Amino acid sequence: MLSSDPKKVQRICFANIEVENMNKLEVAKAHGAYAFLPTVLKDFDADKIIDEVKVSGLRGRGGAGFPTGLKWSFVPRNTGKPTYLLCNADEGEPGTFKDRDIMRFDPHLLIEGMIMAGFALGVKDAYIYIRGEFLHEYNVMCAAIDEAYAANLLGDNILGTDFSMNLMMHRGAGAYICGEETALIESLEGKSGRPRFKPPFPAVEGFYGCPTVVNNVETLATVPAILEHGGAWHAAIGRPNNTGCKIFSVSGNVNKPGNYEVPMGTSLKTLVEDYCGGLQHGTVPKVVIPGGSSTPWLTAEHYDVPLTYDDIMKAGSFLGSGAIIILDETADLVAVTRRLAHFYAHESCGQCTPCREGTGWLERVLTRVDAGNGTEADLVVLNDASKHMAGRTICALAEGAAAPILSMLKYFPDEVRAKLAEKSS
Amino acid sequence: MTVLYINDEEVTVPAGTSILEACRENNVEVPYFCYHPELSVAANCRMCLVEVEGWNKPAASCCTPVSEGMKVVTQSAGLEKDRSMMMEYLLIHHPLDCPVCDQGGACKLQDYAVEHGVGRGRYTEVKRLPSDKDLGPFVNTCMTRCIHCTRCVRFADEIAGTGDMGVLNRGDHMKIDGIVEDALASELSGNLGDICPVGALLDKPSHDVSRPWEMTRHKSTCTACPQGCDIVIESRADEVMRIRPLKGGVEPWICDRGRYVYDAFRSDKRILSPMLRVGDKLEKASWDDAIEKAVTMLKGKRVGIVFSPDWSVEGLAAIRLLHDIGLENPKVAFDLHRRDSRPFAFDEGLTMTTESMEQVDQVVILGSDLRQRFPILMQRLRKRANLGKPVTRIGAMHYRTNSEIANDALVRPRDWYAVIARAMDQLKVLGKTAAGMDEWMGKVEARHEAGKLLADALLADTCALLVGEEIRSHEDAAALIHGLDLLMRAAGHAEEGQDGRNLLPSGMNAQLLSAMFNGTRTAAGEVFAAAIAGELDTLLLIGSDPIGDGLFSRKAKEALAKVDLLQVGSISGDMVGLADIKLPAAAYSEIEGTFINMEGRVRVAENPLRSLGEGRPLWKVMMRLIQALGHDVPAVNLTEMREHVLTMAPDFTALKDIWFAGKAQEDFIPAQRNRKNVFLPNVAKMNAAKGLDVVGRYSMYKEGAWVRASKLLAEAGRIHALDDVIVHPDTLAEMKLQAGDLTIMSNVGAERFTVGTRTDVSPGVVFVSKRGTAGDISGETSVDLGGGQ
Amino acid sequence: MSAPDKPQFSEARLAEIDALAARYPSRKSALMPVLYMAQQDFGYLSMDTQKMVAEVLGLRLMEVREVVTFYTMFKEQPTGKYLLEVCTNASCMVNGADALYAHMKNTLGIEPGQITEDGLFSINEVECAGACAGAPVVQVNNMYHEKATATDMDALISRIRAGEVI
Repeated sequence: MLSSDPKKVQRICFANIEVENMNKLEVAKAHGAYAFLPTVLKDFDADKIIDEVKVSGLRGRGGAGFPTGLKWSFVPRNTGKPTYLLCNADEGEPGTFKDRDIMRFDPHLLIEGMIMAGFALGVKDAYIYIRGEFLHEYNVMCAAIDEAYAANLLGDNILGTDFSMNLMMHRGAGAYICGEETALIESLEGKSGRPRFKPPFPAVEGFYGCPTVVNNVETLATVPAILEHGGAWHAAIGRPNNTGCKIFSVSGNVNKPGNYEVPMGTSLKTLVEDYCGGLQHGTVPKVVIPGGSSTPWLTAEHYDVPLTYDDIMKAGSFLGSGAIIILDETADLVAVTRRLAHFYAHESCGQCTPCREGTGWLERVLTRVDAGNGTEADLVVLNDASKHMAGRTICALAEGAAAPILSMLKYFPDEVRAKLAEKSS
Repeated sequence: MTVLYINDEEVTVPAGTSILEACRENNVEVPYFCYHPELSVAANCRMCLVEVEGWNKPAASCCTPVSEGMKVVTQSAGLEKDRSMMMEYLLIHHPLDCPVCDQGGACKLQDYAVEHGVGRGRYTEVKRLPSDKDLGPFVNTCMTRCIHCTRCVRFADEIAGTGDMGVLNRGDHMKIDGIVEDALASELSGNLGDICPVGALLDKPSHDVSRPWEMTRHKSTCTACPQGCDIVIESRADEVMRIRPLKGGVEPWICDRGRYVYDAFRSDKRILSPMLRVGDKLEKASWDDAIEKAVTMLKGKRVGIVFSPDWSVEGLAAIRLLHDIGLENPKVAFDLHRRDSRPFAFDEGLTMTTESMEQVDQVVILGSDLRQRFPILMQRLRKRANLGKPVTRIGAMHYRTNSEIANDALVRPRDWYAVIARAMDQLKVLGKTAAGMDEWMGKVEARHEAGKLLADALLADTCALLVGEEIRSHEDAAALIHGLDLLMRAAGHAEEGQDGRNLLPSGMNAQLLSAMFNGTRTAAGEVFAAAIAGELDTLLLIGSDPIGDGLFSRKAKEALAKVDLLQVGSISGDMVGLADIKLPAAAYSEIEGTFINMEGRVRVAENPLRSLGEGRPLWKVMMRLIQALGHDVPAVNLTEMREHVLTMAPDFTALKDIWFAGKAQEDFIPAQRNRKNVFLPNVAKMNAAKGLDVVGRYSMYKEGAWVRASKLLAEAGRIHALDDVIVHPDTLAEMKLQAGDLTIMSNVGAERFTVGTRTDVSPGVVFVSKRGTAGDISGETSVDLGGGQ
Repeated sequence: MSAPDKPQFSEARLAEIDALAARYPSRKSALMPVLYMAQQDFGYLSMDTQKMVAEVLGLRLMEVREVVTFYTMFKEQPTGKYLLEVCTNASCMVNGADALYAHMKNTLGIEPGQITEDGLFSINEVECAGACAGAPVVQVNNMYHEKATATDMDALISRIRAGEVI
C-alpha cells in the first residue's frame, strides 16, 4: 500500500514509484532508467564511483548506517578470487516494508544500482537475497532481470562494454536472522542462517571465502541518482553526516501508515502528522519505535526529533532501517513487549548461549507477567537476562531482543507493575 | 609477533593468535566450553568473555585476534557478573542430575558453576526436554544436559569427516542430532564422549559404572596398531574401566579399536596361568611343572619361533636372547603380513612424524586402506585435505576415507611394476634419475598410467610416500620397494631431513626388529612350510596368532597339526585346542617396558596395572626358559635387559639416553634406510599367476588377538562388517559371469562363495575379507573365477 | 511390506536443478531453491524427499536436515491446499491481528498444525510479513491480503470452499 506524498519534496528511490507499470523495462526506460548507465560504464572507473559514493555521504539503509563508499573501499582488489555483490532484500525487521515497494514497483532501479555497484567492485556474479514470503516481489524481480538480460543490461559484455555481470534472485525461507549480512551469506551458501563472528569481515572473506559486499535494497537503489547527479548533489540533501533522503516505513497507531521518502532531518512529528494523517488516538504518541522493533523506544518527549542517524542516537535509540512503529495511548505495552519477545525467541538462530536461552526465558517470563502472574522478582530477572545478552553475542539480535524490554522497564515500570500478581506497595 | 598486555603483564604471541590462546599460552585462566584446540572456532558459548581496554563491550576471547598493544583484562566485577549470568543461561534447562551423571567430577559445567555460578537459579518456567539419540554401541546420549557448544558437530565434520552430527531447529528449540543407522560411521566415535564438555555425550561401555574420582590412571602405549598412541588406562582396583587418549599426548584422538579393546583384558581368552596338556585337555599347572615340560619340547629340538612385534622392546630382546643362547638354529619370524623376507631398500617405519604429514606439499598413499589400518594417520591426512592440500592415492580399491582424495587411481597388485616404471619414464624425461634406475626399468615392459599421478606428486618440493600393505605383502616386495627407492632418489626425496620414504609396518617396534633380526629372520610362511615338511619338532608362538591373523592361516593350521605347540602370551587367539603348553606373559597394560611406534617415537611405561593371574613380563619368562635350558641367565633385571638391547642395536642411542641419562622421550629411532641390495622385478612370475589378483581386507574391529577377544569391538565389527568377496562388475562381465554363487579356484582348491560387485574396486582383483566366509583365500595372491557347476 | 513409492524429481526438474546449481559457485547453494521445488512437487518435505534432495545435490542428509528444520517455510508435515498465515507482530497486533487470528481459527475449526477435513486449509501465526502499512496482514500461500478484516477472510474462505482457485 503506497501513500501519496503531500509535499512534493525531494525523492530519490521513490522518484517514480507511482508511475504505472514502472516494473516494465520500456516504461522504466521512458522515465530515465539505465539512461546514465552507459556513461558510467564508459567514463567512470572503480575509484571514481567509490569516490562519488563517499562524497555523497550515503549510509547503509539496512539498519547499521555504515558509510557505503567506505564499505566498498574495504574490498581488497586483485586477490585472485572473485568479488561478490549481494543485495540484502530480506527485509524482516518488524515495522520495515520499504524495500518491498522498491522491488515490486521499480525493480529496474535496484538492478541499475547493482550493475553500477558491481561495475565499481569488479563483480561477475551478484545475487539478490529476498525473504521467502515476498513471492510476488520475487516474481516481479525475476521478470525484470529477464528483461534486463534480454536488453544486454546484464550478462556478458553489458551494453557492448568489457563489463559482464550476472544477477540472480535467491529466496530465503522464513528466518529473520538472514537479514544479518553474515547469516545471509551462510544462507546463500545453502546452510542454516547462523551469523559468523567477525573478523574476518565479509569484505575480505565472505561468500565462499571470497571478498563480498552486502548492501541493502534502498542503498543500492540510491546509487544511480548519486552517480548521475554527483555525490555533492546527494550530500546537499538532508543534514551533514546524515545526507540524502530516507524512506520511512511508518506503521502502528497512525491513520495513514505507509512508506514515505523524505529528506533526512525531517522531524518525526512532521512525518506523523503531515504524512501519516496523525495518530489514531490522542495527540502525542505513547511510544515511538524509531528504527524497527530492535531499536530502543522513544517517547512523547522525543516527538520533535529530527529523523537523522545522529539525532536519534542522541535521543537514545537508532534510526535503524527507518521503520517507525507508533504506539498510542491504547497500546498495551506489556502485551506488545511480550509479542516482540516471542518474535526474538522465535527468530534467534540459537548458537550463542545468552540469546538462545535468554530470548526464550524472557518470553516465558513476559507471558506470565502479561497474564497477571508476575512478581516483583520477575522484573529483576527481565532486567538481568536482557542486559547480559545484549552485546555478548555474535550478532546484534540479542541486543534487539533486549531493547523493548529494557525500554519498557525504563519508561513504563508502573505499567508493568500494574500487571503483577503481587502488587508492590 | 604481537605484544599485548594481559592483566597488565606484557606477553608476546604470534600475530593472529586469539586472545584466548594467548591467555592459555601464558597460563591465564579464562573459562570456556565451545573452544577446543583441535577444532574450528565456533564462538558460541560466550563463556570466554574478556574486557579489552577501549572497547565498549566484552569480547569473546576465542574469536578475537590479538593486536599490538592491546590491553586485556580477564578478571573484573563486570566479567564476573557476565560469567555468572552465562552460567545461569546455560543452566536454566540443564537438569540437576549431577549425582547420577558420569561426567560429574570431571565436568566443565559443574566446575564453572561452582566457580562462577550463583547458588540458586531463578528460572521457574517449563524446561526443555530433548529426547536422547541412539548413536550406537560407544556413545551414550543424555540430551537434556547438552549446552549446544557444537564440539561434537565440528568433530564429526572436521575430524571424523562423517558429518553425521548436526544442529537442528533454531532458538531454544535448537538441538544436536545425529543421523545414524546402527552407529556413528566413524572409527573415532569414542572421542565424542571425551570432547563433550558436559554429560550429554558419554562413553557408553563405561556408562553408569564408575565415577571419575575412583579411577587410577596409568600412562601407557596403545599397541593396537603401529601408531602407538599415548593412552591413559583408567582402572578401578585392577579392573580397567576405560582407555582414553593422553591429554597433551602427540595425537589428540585415539581410535575405537585402541579404546575399546580393554574388555579383552578380562576375557576368557586370557592366559592367566601356566597350562599343560593332559590328554585332550589343557589343565592349570605350576610354573615349575610347565617350564620343565617346556624344556622337553625345546631342548635339542628343531624349533620354529613366531612372535608378535607388539611386545615391549625388552621382551623382544629377551626373545632374541632365547633364540641365541637357548636354542639351536631355530627358524624365527615375526611378521605375519610379509611374504618376501628379503631386506627392503627402505625398511618398515616412517621417516617423518604423522603430524608433519599435514604440511608436506604432496602425500602419496600406495596401496593402503589407511582408515582401517592407521585411523589416526588417516585423520592427519583428512586435516590436510581440509586445508586444501592434495592427497594422491594409488591402490586396488578406493578405500573409504571420509576425506577428499585429490587424485585416485585403481591398480592390481601385479600392475605395480608398470606403475613404477611409468613414473620412472616421466622423471627420466625431466633429467631426474638414479643409479640403477635404467636397469630396473629395463626389466618391465608394460607401463601403467597411474604412474603419472605418482610422478606428478614426486615433482613437488616435498613429498611423503606412504607405502602400504598391498606392496609390503607383495611376493616381490623387495623389488617393488627397490624401484620406489630409486624413484625417490631420482626425485630428490631421499635426502636426510626431507626423506619421504615411509613404509607402513604391520606392528610395533619395526625399527628395532629390523635392526635386531635382520639376517636372522625368515618369512613366517617359511616357518610353517618347514613344519609341514617335517623339518621342525616344535613351534614356539610368542603372542602371535597365525591362525587368526596374517596371510598364512591355512599353512599355520596345517603346521600346527604336525608339531608340538608351546604358546607364550597374554591371550590365546584362535589356537583353540592346539597348544600343548601355555605360559602366561603379562599384557602391555601390565608391564614396565618400552615401545617404539612407527614414527620411531620411544615410550616407556612406568606405572603399569597389576598383572592379572600368574602372568610375568615376557622378558622374565624368556629368562626362565633360558635358565631351565641350562644356561646362565643373561639378565636378572630390567636394567640388564636394556643393556642387552643396546648391545643388539648399538645405533639406538635414543634408547640409551632415555633409559640411562633420563632424557625426555623426544628423540626418534631411525628406520633402516639405504640398503645396498639390488632386487630387480620378477615380471615373469607375476605373468604366470592365476587370472585375478587377491587382496585381503582387514577390519580394524577384527584384526589381532586382543581385538577378537573384545566383545565391544565384536559388536562394532558386526555393525561395520566388510563385504565378504567382491569384484568389479566389469571383471564378471568380461568373464561372462554374474554376481552370486561362483567358484573360486586357488591353491586351496575350488570352492563356491557368494561373490558381490562394487564399482570402487580395481577390475581384475578379488577382494576377500579376512574374517569373512572365504577368509582362507585372503592369504592367496591370485585365483581364477568360474561359474556354477 | 511394500514400500510406498519413493519421491523422485522428474527429468525436467533434474535438468532445471542442474542449470540452477551451475549459477552458484557451489552446488550446495542450490539447496534452498531445490527444497522449494521439492515442496512444490511433493507437497511437503518428508524424510524420503529430504534424502532424495541430498542425493541430487551431493550433500549429506544432515546438511539437508539442518536447513529444513532451520527455516520456517520448509514444511516437514503436510499442510492444507491453502496455508493461511496471520501476522500478529507489533503493528498488526495493535491493529487487531489477534482477534482476526482467533476468528479465522474459529471459522475453520482448526489449530496450527491441523488441516481442515476437506484438506483445503491450514492456519498459523507468523512473524512480521514486511507489509506493516497493511496491518493486519494475512498471507494465503504467500499472497498478501492487507488490512484484512474478519469479513474479508470469511468471504475468502467461502470462495475457496466453493471451489474458486485463489
